Amino acid sequence: MPVAEPLLQVSQVVKRYPSAGDPDGPPVLAGVDLELAPGDSLAIVGPSGCGKTTLLNLIGTLDSPDAGDIRLEGASLTGLAPAALARVRNRQIGFVFQLHHLLPQCTVLENVLLPTLASDNEVLRDGAPDRARKLLDRVGLKDRQNHRPGQLSGGERQRAAVVRALINEPHLLLADEPTGALDRASAETLAGLLVELNRETGVTLIVVTHSLDLAHRMRQVQELRDGRLRPASDQ
Amino acid sequence: MTRLKLVWRSVTFHARAHLGALFGASVGGAVLIGALVVGDSVRGSLRELAVARLGDVEFAASTGERLFREALGGQLQAGLAAGGLGRPGGVPCAAALVLPGTASRDGGKARANHVQLVGVTQHFWRLAPEPPPFTEVPPDGVVLNAGLARQLGANPGDEILFRVAKPSGLSRDAPLTPLDETTVALRLKVSAVVSERQFGRFGLQASQIAPFNAFISLATLQKRVESPGRANLLLVGELPEATNQAAGVVYPILPPETYRQRLQSALQQRFQLADAQLEWRDLPAIRALELRSPRVFLDESFTATVLGDAGRTNSLAWAIKRSLPSVRPVGVLTYFVNELRHGDRRTPYSMVSAVEAPLVPADLKEDEILINQWLADDLQAKPGDPLTLRYYAVGMTRELEERTATFTIRSVVPMDAPGWDRDLMPDFPGMTEAENCRDWETGLPIDMEAIRDQDEAYWRDHRGTPKALVSLAAGQKLWSNRYGNLTAVRFYTSGLTIRTPRTPAETQAVQRTLAAIRQPLERAMTRVLDPALFGLRLQPVREQALAAGDQSQDFGALFLGFSFFLIAAALLLMAVLFQFAIEQRTAEVGALLAIGFSPRRVRGLLLSEGAAVALAGIVIGLGGGILYARAMVAGLSTIWNQAVGGASLGYHATDRSLLIGAVAAWLVAVGTMGLALRRQAARPARELMAEGDLADLSRPATGRPRRSHATGIALTAGALAVGLLVWGVIGRPGAAAGQFFGAGALLLIAGLAAASRLLTALDAGASSALPGLRELGLRGATRRRRRSLATMALLACGAFLILSIGVFRLDTPDDGNRRDSGTGGFALIGSATQPVLEVPTGPAGIQQYGLDEARFAGVDTVPFRVQDGDEASCLNLNRAQAPRVMGVDPEALAKRGAFRFVTFAKGLPAALGWQALSRERCLAAGLDLAEDEVPAVGDQASIQYALGRKVGDCVPFTDSQGRTFQLRLVGAVANSILQGSLIVDRTEFVERFPDAAGYRWFLIDAPRDTAAKVAEGLSRALVDEGLEITRATDRLAAFNAVQNTYLGTFQILGGLGLGLGSLGLGAVVLRNVLERRGELALLLALGFRRPTLRRLILVEHLALLAGGLGIGAVAALVAVFPTVWTTGLTVPVWPLTVTLLAVLGNGALWTWAATQLSIRGNLLTALRNT
Repeated sequence: MPVAEPLLQVSQVVKRYPSAGDPDGPPVLAGVDLELAPGDSLAIVGPSGCGKTTLLNLIGTLDSPDAGDIRLEGASLTGLAPAALARVRNRQIGFVFQLHHLLPQCTVLENVLLPTLASDNEVLRDGAPDRARKLLDRVGLKDRQNHRPGQLSGGERQRAAVVRALINEPHLLLADEPTGALDRASAETLAGLLVELNRETGVTLIVVTHSLDLAHRMRQVQELRDGRLRPASDQ
Repeated sequence: MTRLKLVWRSVTFHARAHLGALFGASVGGAVLIGALVVGDSVRGSLRELAVARLGDVEFAASTGERLFREALGGQLQAGLAAGGLGRPGGVPCAAALVLPGTASRDGGKARANHVQLVGVTQHFWRLAPEPPPFTEVPPDGVVLNAGLARQLGANPGDEILFRVAKPSGLSRDAPLTPLDETTVALRLKVSAVVSERQFGRFGLQASQIAPFNAFISLATLQKRVESPGRANLLLVGELPEATNQAAGVVYPILPPETYRQRLQSALQQRFQLADAQLEWRDLPAIRALELRSPRVFLDESFTATVLGDAGRTNSLAWAIKRSLPSVRPVGVLTYFVNELRHGDRRTPYSMVSAVEAPLVPADLKEDEILINQWLADDLQAKPGDPLTLRYYAVGMTRELEERTATFTIRSVVPMDAPGWDRDLMPDFPGMTEAENCRDWETGLPIDMEAIRDQDEAYWRDHRGTPKALVSLAAGQKLWSNRYGNLTAVRFYTSGLTIRTPRTPAETQAVQRTLAAIRQPLERAMTRVLDPALFGLRLQPVREQALAAGDQSQDFGALFLGFSFFLIAAALLLMAVLFQFAIEQRTAEVGALLAIGFSPRRVRGLLLSEGAAVALAGIVIGLGGGILYARAMVAGLSTIWNQAVGGASLGYHATDRSLLIGAVAAWLVAVGTMGLALRRQAARPARELMAEGDLADLSRPATGRPRRSHATGIALTAGALAVGLLVWGVIGRPGAAAGQFFGAGALLLIAGLAAASRLLTALDAGASSALPGLRELGLRGATRRRRRSLATMALLACGAFLILSIGVFRLDTPDDGNRRDSGTGGFALIGSATQPVLEVPTGPAGIQQYGLDEARFAGVDTVPFRVQDGDEASCLNLNRAQAPRVMGVDPEALAKRGAFRFVTFAKGLPAALGWQALSRERCLAAGLDLAEDEVPAVGDQASIQYALGRKVGDCVPFTDSQGRTFQLRLVGAVANSILQGSLIVDRTEFVERFPDAAGYRWFLIDAPRDTAAKVAEGLSRALVDEGLEITRATDRLAAFNAVQNTYLGTFQILGGLGLGLGSLGLGAVVLRNVLERRGELALLLALGFRRPTLRRLILVEHLALLAGGLGIGAVAALVAVFPTVWTTGLTVPVWPLTVTLLAVLGNGALWTWAATQLSIRGNLLTALRNT
């Protein structure tokens, strides 16, 4: 059985934040290594300030590492121009944040379709409305597609954000505390949704969370401690 | 989802947030569009005025002192119809007689000078824009225009006394012309007052000021000035091909020049010698026809055409030779000599003719003379004896220069020699009709004691029969002058022999022959002679008038300049508010970046949003612009009326200006927004999505500060400013304005750079102790250093501009004593309606005008000859097409060092001064001056703005005989009372404009303490000449008022801009505080009270306000210092202080309001969001 090529390879990634006394600053990430196969799911846990979001931002090309390399589908993301990085984010990566960041002026459907505007792929763009409706149907927002974000509940907004993240059929879905701002019931629903989508669509999923419930629904759980990823011990 | 839909959703959703930007765009757009519409309004008004003053008149020929037949108008109309240029009813043509005059009512209680008396027929009124309620002016009536009626306080039924100059055959400058009865009085009853649309504004000169017009019956005027059937203005109405659609817009199918040529050709066909004031006289006794003129002398251009001159192909001479081989044209020049002397015997006051064969032998030498028997007897002279002639030469003016010439008597001719008769004498005014020598009324001083009985007897028996004949060549050398070189042309019908008819039958046959050849001769001549030689040159006056309006001072650009700061302030306000609106959406921007939009694309989306807001703003601005333009036009018609020379302007707007204004305003607004957005989406999405302004917080508090050039800039600019100040102080007073203004501008830069450095220092500063509240407030200003600096820069630049613009105010010295000042050191200016023939304050003038010699001791006058034209000064909104030209003796100005030259044509040394008017001096200095170029000097402002030229350029001009020549601008004087005209050497002037007799403009040098009395005495003495005296300083002040009014307008509009700038400051405060609500909430949570927080915010922003205004004010004070120092200009301290305080107060008010607004409500909720 052939070994599947890893979708994501993070090698010895270092990230520092300068401080008042130290222009280089202590490393938040001190040589992180990570490999994920297509369709895998990973939860990253750890205490506040340990660098979970930083790592997610680096993987999502929202930030760049001070050292090390990140490869997505075999291609290095290091040194890419901002426009190329924007293309990567648009086509290969989907984001779900703790806050939904839906545009209040647009309907749910329009928000979901927003990433297609940034895409040059016409085929993708042409099929986007159908895909959006199916996905909204899938997450239970079929009847809410013409509503504005202000008319939705917190859980619904976050589900809409998940659909927006998937509209361009990315291979990697990054979720940063996706349930952090939700009540328990909504958090449960969203966690189930993410797991199902991972299973159904084969999208690779990385979730940064404080929620052990959510973390344990992923295939892998790793803890970020002292700037490195380690398999999480049961808590 | 489309991009457009997203933009539309964003605009509508964030509409409230964009209201500020919408307001800014509206104001900016309104001011920009409004400024262009102001330009439209001025141009439109001038076009309306042009149409009002010309009505349907398309072409006109004004012949001035030369009079043509009134019937020519009707004949031209018929000719146009016959030539296919007519339309049903014919192209209306009208002849009029226009003469300058004065008017008075109630024994002089109300008076008007420079009145244009227009003798008209019913044909004239047909050309009016609107027909008046009458067809003809009654014979004893007068129709006034509203301006003259107002000046005289006259109503229909009132009697007005007019005094008008009689057209003079021989120029009044010629010493022979009698000075008495040059004007006639007309007492007429006002029959109507016509409005501007009823031709009340009629006139050929492009000016927004209506002339004083008095219309009277042409027949009445002709009769009173003894010129029956004569006119000097030919008007041609609208042609069928030239459609005057509306408001003076002409859509010619053929080029106007083609029309003009066709008209001129039609005119040529109807042109008669009588239109050139040439009269035929039969001389059957010598079988000849003679052409002579009441103008006495025949124009050289005419005589050259008829007789030919050396080296000139003469088609007329050939035509006569071919068609009338027996006819021989011969010139005659008869002159009045003071004395004929042989030895100690003298014969006074005689005529001498210069002629050719057959009257004198063909071989008569130039130093030989024939005398008649009477003279030979009187002088006891015989052939071979010398004979000396004494005569007055025609000089520059009426000054008499007596010359002598000596001839040798070749032979004595009997008294009955055929052809040697009284017909040789031209119609010298005041002599021809006199019965006795003692009745002569010439302008020459005649010593009556010298006239003997035998002289009276000769006059009685022989009248003006010349007592001697010389060769034409010799005579022309002595007596040719600028009026002509012949007094008659004789056409001998029998070759060069004179055969007197012996019988009545033979006489009758001769008369028939003369009548028979007169027609072909006239036809041959009129075919060749260009009517333009006699002033009959049809000018496309409507086209010129419209061009004068269209090329006028561009008030659109002017108001754009005036409104620049207002527009800039509005756009800055728009940009700041737009930026604020966008900055509130940083998380949205971050989300867009996170989902794959590139920063550029995000900025594009935001800019599209801004463009939509700007578009809406500009649409609103269109309405606002129209209101703004109406307000400005109202201002120009009232409080700023001096800026437009007293014109009454109306609102006009063209679609083109509205469109250009709107598009330009939109582009500028979008561009400004683009600049404001250039830093948007530059930060990482993760920061933007954090919704707090982490960028500032994440900036290292210490460590490596960014390199700043502020210190270097401040020190360099400061040092340069000090250097310029020192240079200005030790330099020549008066020349320091530039240095000081430069120093002021440098100080402004230095101040702003220092403020930048201070903000950086405050930002970096860390004290061991806890900072005080004030320091805390000031540090707040450093949080957004660029924003704070931009606010200060806006206020500083505004304050600097408004305060320092005073440096450009033109000051009129109280006494105008200085020779190099704008008055040239002259106390008074005189302007006469009628030509003044003697310099009033000269010895002859004092005698002529009966002035008190004692009172006029020490009074000196520089007289100017005037060829009327367009006023080429800032008082005339129209672009002067043919400026007024004045002739002066350059030496009179040079010896005084009058006025200050600012520039000379390339190659001319500055030391030349007024001598630059001399052709010889120019050529000697190496100036490349063509034969047809006349050196001219003008006021710098007139040359640059009124004429749109520069020194070195040529201004094409047409002389009184229709010949074109160039006025070469060789020098310019600074800001002077000479604005309005171009000055040339008087010798050049009289050569080009021999008909412009006498002087009509004077610069009077009078002691300051007696100037008022001098003015009063001159005005009274020269009341018939309509002399108006004004103080030179008043005249200069009137010119200066235009520029000063412009500056005032700029200051007012700049003040509005500054007001808008302080409104922007309020917005900045609001934004700053809103951004820091969390920080303020924390302070509140820590136990600070709200009033303390308010003080904290006020200190921070009032420091920006005061700092900005302070830097601007100090820099401006430095800039205006030399004006105050050197000219003693009274600084308008209070208005400027009030302006500054108003701006300070306005800024403080907005700061306070913004502070109140931003810290009200439950601030502590902000803590939960941070």
